[in-house]
Amino acid sequence: MCGNRILIGLGKSAAVALILAWSLFPIAFVVLSSFKPGRDIFAVPPRFLFDPTVQHYLALATTWGGFFQGLYNSLIITAGATVLAVTVSVMAGYIYSRHRGALMTGSVVFLIVVRLIPPIVVTLPLFPILNWLRLNDTHAALILLYATFFVSLGTLLMRTFIDQVPRELDEAALIDGAGRVKILTGVIVPLVAPGMLAVAVFVVVYAWNEFLFAFIFTATKAKTAPLVISEMIGSIDGVDWGVLFAASTVQLVPVLVFVALMHRYLIAGLTAGATKG
Amino acid sequence: MPEIAQSGRGRRATARRMPAGDKPAGSRRSDVLDRVGRALPFLAPVHLLVLSVIVLPALYVGWLSLHASTFGQEPSYVGLANYGKILSDPYFLRSLGNTLLIVVVAVHLELAAGLGIALLFASGLPGGRFLLPAVLAPYAISEVTAVAMWRFLFDLDVGPVTLAMQALSLPAIEWSVLPMHGLIIVGLLTIWLHLPFTFIILYAARLGIPGELYEAARMDGATPAQAFRRITLPLLAPAMLIALLFRYIFAFRLFSEVWLMTQGGPARSTEVVAVYLYLEAFRYNAFGTAAATAWIMVVVSLLLGAGYIWLLRRQMVSDVR
Repeated sequence: MCGNRILIGLGKSAAVALILAWSLFPIAFVVLSSFKPGRDIFAVPPRFLFDPTVQHYLALATTWGGFFQGLYNSLIITAGATVLAVTVSVMAGYIYSRHRGALMTGSVVFLIVVRLIPPIVVTLPLFPILNWLRLNDTHAALILLYATFFVSLGTLLMRTFIDQVPRELDEAALIDGAGRVKILTGVIVPLVAPGMLAVAVFVVVYAWNEFLFAFIFTATKAKTAPLVISEMIGSIDGVDWGVLFAASTVQLVPVLVFVALMHRYLIAGLTAGATKG
Repeated sequence: MPEIAQSGRGRRATARRMPAGDKPAGSRRSDVLDRVGRALPFLAPVHLLVLSVIVLPALYVGWLSLHASTFGQEPSYVGLANYGKILSDPYFLRSLGNTLLIVVVAVHLELAAGLGIALLFASGLPGGRFLLPAVLAPYAISEVTAVAMWRFLFDLDVGPVTLAMQALSLPAIEWSVLPMHGLIIVGLLTIWLHLPFTFIILYAARLGIPGELYEAARMDGATPAQAFRRITLPLLAPAMLIALLFRYIFAFRLFSEVWLMTQGGPARSTEVVAVYLYLEAFRYNAFGTAAATAWIMVVVSLLLGAGYIWLLRRQMVSDVR
């Protein structure tokens, strides 16, 4: 019996080690390698002790100056898309939570259906339309696209979170003479801030990392960081791995830290988003 | 309501006293309109965005799929010819086959792995609190940086994983040379990126199973295997179905991993449907066939989604209070 327990414990530890290696090794490898002197990146077996250097970061700054412009663009676009998506989702989620009926149910089904449409489908007509509106290669275009592809999920999530706020609070505020806007901003929003954070985590991760829309709808001015990194991967003079790893590290560490800090909200959002109508 | 038939003065007095829900039919319509009118400004932004950016463009694509169209040419109606053309195009059929292969193999492997990890976590792990963010980490990673990692790790000459596999005298994954190996690497990459999602759905569902059920089963002398088959599996089934449907839908639109890893090569052998669509639209300017491809993607996604909505139907009806 006792031996059995030890065996189970060993098996579990091995499984955990395997899972950690699977999820973390690629990330850790890139981050560590970005600080390795050129030759050590290719050392066999991989070297874990080395003299850390920032040479690849300096090379990144001198040879790929566009990368930092890309980071700046990503920051603006992520912030814009997040604010837009969270704001309109709270507004609509409030109404969906407080009103029921056939029209509302139909409308919720409509929002779920919208989530099913693959993003690449809309690039076909939107490319000429955005050109015509002179919105191609602008921050605004990507902000609109990124926010829109998350407002249906955002609205459904906010409805679920606002459902948990007792209606009596609305009614009390109503008796005090507050209008709908006042009730939403003064009563609801402070109470569903965690839900808004859950929606924000989705949009931040998506907008910061997205590739397809950035690839199709930007050319020079609004290029995002992932797009610049994809150009490094496809560079015709051969890939400079040290520089690529440095750029990847700069791109992934902020969002990785963000997700690690917010993982509670991410889990709440993921489970509510998949199992709630 | 007999009072209503009384004098005008009496009716007014009654109306003032009546609670909102009991109004006569005539004023109910204006009441509904009034409520819709007040709700509209709150709903309008979401629906304006969704209609203009997703729904109308998607419907336009459906219309375009029935027309022949390229640059500098008015679309002309051709019926279902575009669908006939792509369904007899070996490149499209291969891309469809590759997509289905990834959907079927990668998604199910991912479900099995996600289930295993969820059960391992639920069985109680020391430090599980810190392990959770570690398992979620790939969720935060962009497809682009993930491809950068994997391209190096599996590089045929210097990749550490390739060299490690050689040291163990395992065959290398020649993803840039052999089409099937290219698909394997794309499949692994897509599992790596999406396993956190599948894991979380299953883990949350597993935590939702009351512990008393397992206790009762143990008291009745059930073995762990029996408890798994009779309690865990049936109670996790709905969550597993939801995770599967979601992942089918998302794997069907797979683009970035393939485009960045193999560009659909060598010789268009690892293309998936979304890559085929991209090439038709933005490289060959064949908008009609690109639209037909897109509409096929929409229809397949909606069919899969119909299953999802059907699964949630009970909850949606119960939501209508």
